[in-house]
Amino acid sequence: MRSLRRILRTPLGIAAISLLALVLLTAIFAPILWGAQADAVDTDNILAGPSLEHPIGTDGLGRDLLLRTVVATRLSVVLALVATLVAVTAGLILGVAPFLLGRAGKVFTWLVGIAVAFPALLLALFFAVIFGTGWVGATWAIGLAGAPTFARLCQTLVAGIAERDFVSAARIGGVGRFRVLFRHVLPNIGEPLIVNATIGAGGALLSFAGLSFLGLGVQPPEYDWGRLMMDGLSGVYLNPLAALAPGVAVVIAGLAFNLTGEAAARSLGIGSVGVMSKLAALQPRRVAEASPPAPDEVLAVRDLHVTFPGGAGPITPVRGVDFTLRRGEVVGIVGESGSGKSLTALAIAQLIEEPGRVDAETLRFLGTDLRDGDHRRLLGTSLAMVFQDPMTSFNPAKRMGGQLAEVATQHHGMTRRQARARAVDRLAAVRIPDAEQRARQYPHEFSGGMRQRAMIGMGLMGSPKLIIADEPTTAVDVTVQRQVLSLLQAIRDQDEVAILFISHDVSVIAELCDRVLVMYAGRIVEDLPVAQLDQAQHPYTRALLAAVPDMQTDLDAPLATVPGRPVDPAHVPPGCAFAARCPLADAHCRVEDPQLVTSAPGARVACWHAGEPLPDPIAAPARDIEGTTQTGPTTRTSPTTRTSGVQVVV
Amino acid sequence: MSGLAFENVTVRFGSTAAVDDVTLTVPDGEVLGLVGESGSGKSTLARAAVGLVPVQGGRIVLDGEPIDVRHGRRPLQMVFQDPYSSLDPRMTIGASIAEILPRHLKRAARADEVARLLELVHLDPARAEAYPLQLSGGQRQRVAIARALAGRPEVLIADEITSALDVSIQGSILNLVRELQAELGLSMLFISHNLAVVRYVASRVAVMHRGRIVEEGPALDVLADPQDPYTRELLAAIPGRIPTSTDNQRSTP
Repeated sequence: MRSLRRILRTPLGIAAISLLALVLLTAIFAPILWGAQADAVDTDNILAGPSLEHPIGTDGLGRDLLLRTVVATRLSVVLALVATLVAVTAGLILGVAPFLLGRAGKVFTWLVGIAVAFPALLLALFFAVIFGTGWVGATWAIGLAGAPTFARLCQTLVAGIAERDFVSAARIGGVGRFRVLFRHVLPNIGEPLIVNATIGAGGALLSFAGLSFLGLGVQPPEYDWGRLMMDGLSGVYLNPLAALAPGVAVVIAGLAFNLTGEAAARSLGIGSVGVMSKLAALQPRRVAEASPPAPDEVLAVRDLHVTFPGGAGPITPVRGVDFTLRRGEVVGIVGESGSGKSLTALAIAQLIEEPGRVDAETLRFLGTDLRDGDHRRLLGTSLAMVFQDPMTSFNPAKRMGGQLAEVATQHHGMTRRQARARAVDRLAAVRIPDAEQRARQYPHEFSGGMRQRAMIGMGLMGSPKLIIADEPTTAVDVTVQRQVLSLLQAIRDQDEVAILFISHDVSVIAELCDRVLVMYAGRIVEDLPVAQLDQAQHPYTRALLAAVPDMQTDLDAPLATVPGRPVDPAHVPPGCAFAARCPLADAHCRVEDPQLVTSAPGARVACWHAGEPLPDPIAAPARDIEGTTQTGPTTRTSPTTRTSGVQVVV
Repeated sequence: MSGLAFENVTVRFGSTAAVDDVTLTVPDGEVLGLVGESGSGKSTLARAAVGLVPVQGGRIVLDGEPIDVRHGRRPLQMVFQDPYSSLDPRMTIGASIAEILPRHLKRAARADEVARLLELVHLDPARAEAYPLQLSGGQRQRVAIARALAGRPEVLIADEITSALDVSIQGSILNLVRELQAELGLSMLFISHNLAVVRYVASRVAVMHRGRIVEEGPALDVLADPQDPYTRELLAAIPGRIPTSTDNQRSTP
């Protein structure tokens, strides 16, 4: 019901559903209302042309063709639906067979693969000849001809679900294959199947008209649209409408099914429509630049906002980020998922795509204002970006050397030979052994660690002034992590490159960085030198530090945890965003958001209770310490939760 | 011999051996931590134990007997890495847990058991009707643990169960694992690439490298005095200790 309402939200959906309703209502009521009249023989009016009484004329027995076309809706639609049912059922059986039968089911995959190679119409004709003329044979023919396509779709969808962990979990739990199929697999592939069946029904309608037109389908005295077209064709020069009208009916009904399927597919695939206009109405913030750049400044960010359109109004996952990076400085951004740390990086690199929007009071890279105009060239040569997953960052079909060289021919105007030499040189610089040979290899021939280093090497093709590394060590092992960190350190030491290093792991940041920015709910809540991490002022920073086990963690005590759950960017509370999880929060915190202010030389913090001692962890069993949507808002503000900030479960 | 034992187990994908002649025991009532880099074969070993991948050589035995999976009994249960993929989005969490319960239980008994299991992992039993979408990552992982416990396993296999979670939530899941282990006396194969995490929950540690076990022993011994060069390399690569807030309170009262 909800999906129907979603379909009806678009103009296409409204048109499709109304058309389908019209066709179905006609199919139900036309034979009841006009069935007898359409069969009434009138020998005085044989093969008459269009007239007031018979708008599109009559047939060889003087029966009114318009009424016959309208009445034929039922048989045409019913047969098409039955044929679709045959196709879907046969397709489902063939489609789930590989899942149920395991290895033996591979035969079905091959069979379907072969069957799909034949055009459906050819198969339909083939089956129609086997089953003989008449509507029963034609229904089977069209149904079976449509089955391979459905079977293939089913197999693909089932295979996708079967790989998910919840299917593995059910099977480990001793749930039988049949039960897994009906409880887990089918409900999760239902939507695309229904959409495709609807579109398939349109196709079946067309095929049926074709078979009847060729005389292989419905036989007299029954009649469907194909049959009417066939009868009308003999007199097409005398009365063209006799053949055209049923043709138009086929087109309308076929469109009704196809459009409904398309509309359903679209509304199920894409979430909300119509939010673009809401975002366009937002006024971009443009304030004149204030502070002049410091001499060794690489990057200056002032009041950075990133906004995306959302169902209930714009969502702002980055809400006013301020910081500067100087030459050779390594700054880490730490935060949970959803804290806005990666979006901050993407915004700086100008990689936020429509419909997202970036606003800032200052966004200056090497003295150039990035807020307006096209800075691809500057960014391409002076900024290097390293992503979490190096596998998806390289083109798997191109050799590594060529991919690196491309950067140099694009941005630095080098010849191909020069660029290649530079690529080999850079691969060697990121400590890839036998760089000359390695450059000729494809990405899949590199190990994970080598790919990550090659990615950094790609950034070094120019002479970058800033490297932004977004969780570059999250997908790799500790040993590779160490290699990547020491490589970044060496690059910084050699060329005084500034590095912005994003991670959710404070210990990695502590290893590499000079300064750490702690982000929470789209803001920087603390900015301090890594050497002073032990003097962190913000309760969130302190909780993060305590929550990570290290090789010295006391084995007899439970780990400290941060109660509650991270803030959803769509529902940022008023006041301090961390208040709900904070042991020090009071009424003031929940009303007024603290500003990021200098707390000590080189350190900033945004907290009303910065540096106040935390209450002792309370050693009491706490239920559901991550909070729930159900109990969240009320218990979060209650004094009991407030005092149990860095909470402990025994 | 009691506990879960792998005896010369080999798993091949094509011509490469993902698990190469592994012999390893998870002793009764203990947590064995299995560490190694990605691609070392530790997850494949776990999947072989629960029958998700076929074993080409050797055997896996529980208390000296081949694992009996008849009559819907599954003495090994597994908790997966990604709680966003391990729960059926179309099923309530209560239904997901109830599905794994022994078949013979009556309807009322099943509901009671689901409530008890939710309670055990510190979730409100009233939330049994919630769908996974309504839960946070940490809460989903608790449900996944409750579901594994519903099978009344003799050995629980935890495959990187905290690596998909935020740092602030990891700790509470690790606390839960330790608490359940102490309360229920579960035997557990705890797989992780994070040595600090393994050190915190496991009594024994095995180090896997390229499909083979290179070192195995009591956790504190292996971590304090590693014998294998690969183990030493792993330990050396761990980022340095970061000052904690407790130090802070002690140093600046």
